[in-house]
Amino acid sequence: MTVTGFIGTICMFPLRVIINTCVRLRIHPNILTFVGVLINVAAAWALALGRFVTAAIIMVIANIFDFIDGKVALELKAVSAFGGFWDSVIDRFSDISLFIGLIYLYSRMGRTDYVMVAALAMMFVVMTSYTRARAESIIPKCKVGFMERPERIVLFMVGAFTNRMAAVLWVTLILSIFTVADRIILTWRELKNAEGVIA
Amino acid sequence: MKRAATLPARVLWNAFYWTYERATWQYDLMVIAILAFVWLTPPDWLNDPTATGSGPIGWLLELVNR
Repeated sequence: MTVTGFIGTICMFPLRVIINTCVRLRIHPNILTFVGVLINVAAAWALALGRFVTAAIIMVIANIFDFIDGKVALELKAVSAFGGFWDSVIDRFSDISLFIGLIYLYSRMGRTDYVMVAALAMMFVVMTSYTRARAESIIPKCKVGFMERPERIVLFMVGAFTNRMAAVLWVTLILSIFTVADRIILTWRELKNAEGVIA
Repeated sequence: MKRAATLPARVLWNAFYWTYERATWQYDLMVIAILAFVWLTPPDWLNDPTATGSGPIGWLLELVNR
């Protein structure tokens, strides 16, 4: 087993308890998704005030909701097309609100350089999900690139807990650019191959 | 010879064009590289607006320069 696989297995134990509780209480997954975004907005607020450790703790709570909604939907047999759509849309609000918190903080500190880094990172994070969503409307699957949402969230929490947000923003920016590029390359290749098959 | 010359290029390409799943050794390696960058890079090098100090690498450099 790999190190990250082992950490994932360990984290699943407390999450399993929370999932089972939500299933027993029959909490609708769409409500869990919505509660998650509200808590994420609170995390963004803490980031904006420069209270990184508080923000990190709130992010952990918010992302528990974010993580379990799909699993609860499966167990309650409440999986729906709207649920998937709702989850994706709400996830973008969560992502963007955290960046807005940081942009507010850096602009208040007069750090235009990091306002730009955070704004660019936000742009590529949004483009990461857009490229996949758009690509999967024309090709079957577009799951390439390292910097997906779980990686981004964990990295944000690491940065906030250890006060290394600048380094985290640089990594997020560069790897999100790579991820967007990967998805464009894959889509181009797949479409070119499909054209070749048709021709 | 040719194989040796293309290996670093292939590693770089695979790191850029990422197709590995989670919980693979390649994924672990990438995570380690990212955490090393985040935790070891001196905040001063990045002009970090919130973190201060020189970080572990800075302490090591100070120790060596003493």
